[in-house]
Amino acid sequence: MMKKILQYGLIISIGFPVLFLLMLSIGRRWPYPALFPLEMSFSNWEFLQQSDSKLFQAFFISLGISLSVAFIVTSIGFLISKFIAYSKQRNTFLVLAYIPYLLSPVIMAVIFQYYFIITGLAGSFFGVIIAQFLIAFPFGIIIYDNFWNSQLKSIEELSYTLGGTRIQTYRKVLLPLSKNAIMLCFFQVFLVSWFEYGLTNLIGSGKVRTLTVSVFNFVTEANIFYAALSCCLLILPPMLLLYINKRFIFFVEKTNQ
Amino acid sequence: MNPFLDIQGIYKKFGKDSILTDVNLHLKKNTVLSLLGSSGSGKTTLLKIIAGLETQDKGEILLYGKNINRQKPQQRNIVYLYQEALLFPHLDAFENVAFGLRLKKLKESVIKEKVDLMLKNLGMTNHASKMPSQLSGGQRQRISFGRAMVIEPELLLLDEPFGALDSSTRGKMQELFKSLAHAMQISALFVTHDLKEAIVMGDQIGKIKKGELLQYETKKDFFNDEHSEVHKEIDFWTNIKNN
Repeated sequence: MMKKILQYGLIISIGFPVLFLLMLSIGRRWPYPALFPLEMSFSNWEFLQQSDSKLFQAFFISLGISLSVAFIVTSIGFLISKFIAYSKQRNTFLVLAYIPYLLSPVIMAVIFQYYFIITGLAGSFFGVIIAQFLIAFPFGIIIYDNFWNSQLKSIEELSYTLGGTRIQTYRKVLLPLSKNAIMLCFFQVFLVSWFEYGLTNLIGSGKVRTLTVSVFNFVTEANIFYAALSCCLLILPPMLLLYINKRFIFFVEKTNQ
Repeated sequence: MNPFLDIQGIYKKFGKDSILTDVNLHLKKNTVLSLLGSSGSGKTTLLKIIAGLETQDKGEILLYGKNINRQKPQQRNIVYLYQEALLFPHLDAFENVAFGLRLKKLKESVIKEKVDLMLKNLGMTNHASKMPSQLSGGQRQRISFGRAMVIEPELLLLDEPFGALDSSTRGKMQELFKSLAHAMQISALFVTHDLKEAIVMGDQIGKIKKGELLQYETKKDFFNDEHSEVHKEIDFWTNIKNN
């Protein structure tokens, strides 16, 4: 009984905000004390197609930045984290990895900004990718750190003594075993990048207009209907990732056992 | 005549700690040398150096009279087996045994023939399609042996392979290993801290203590050495019997 209550509680706590956002995104004119908006139509969604709205553009810019950052951090982090995990200076490297989060990404962005301006990277798509990489990379290292352990090292060494080259060992042993860690890192870094606002706004200098930046703009303009509309776009990829994670990865793992 | 494996003057330090000091060892082809040693005696480090997974500070390793110091682990054809079976969790029993053969890119028919024969010898034919998590500790260790033996290594290094098994399974595994080692003419270094297991498994016995190794030419020499602790064991059981 308790379990069911908790399950329903969880579904409602996730489902209600999503439904509320959807309702807001199709709403118009909501004066006090009306319980619901007075008009409901998809005219707000037509706003997505208008060339001056640039919401679609913002969506694809965000997608491009987040996928790039997630891909780069996941692949480079995999190799570097292995080196760090087996290094004698592991603890020192891990303390360094926490620094961006102790200082907060926005403060890091203020520190970076000068260098991005003199290198001409400020206000550019690649500048934002590099800035987000600098923040997300330590996060990737922290995610991977627990994955590398003495047992995995022994399995790797065993593969070598069985005749496996480094490439063969990565391809046939380490990568299949690290599938979950890789997916976890990719999803987490994607989400960090996708919802990143302060650093993106500062390094992007208002020229790189991501979806998160657009949402904040609508919020500051007190345009709740357009803010809700862009929020619907904003939660779409995370929901999709959650579905892929549950439907394919978790399910495949269970059937393999 | 040169011994099959000849280890000369191996030294190893980790920081300031001396792990191995002037270790000398020789092994004839198709024989098993039991290495007795307690925890921290340096036996695992010695095996890892022979396998190429660690490098010694000083000393030579000769296989068939050829120095293999500079060879990578994958070039030595020496398999190191850990106390745990360490089966690849994403592969079933058949694929675990086939692993080394697939690395060599042998024909599928040859792989199937060799793996099927190995599984038959191990008594594991009916478990070929099971994943490691579906096997018992003893079954996992059998597959681990099969995976090592099927590639016909020059030398097998076993680091307390039965240490995690219960006494009944351990006895069965000892018998299985002895019969397989004999049938397949395997040369091996068998590390254990169990005196009885060392005597049962080895054609020869060596003892490693605080990084220094003493190799006995015959089991009789080992028995006669008052420091070998065989007499302590005999006295223990005699006292039990008399009381």
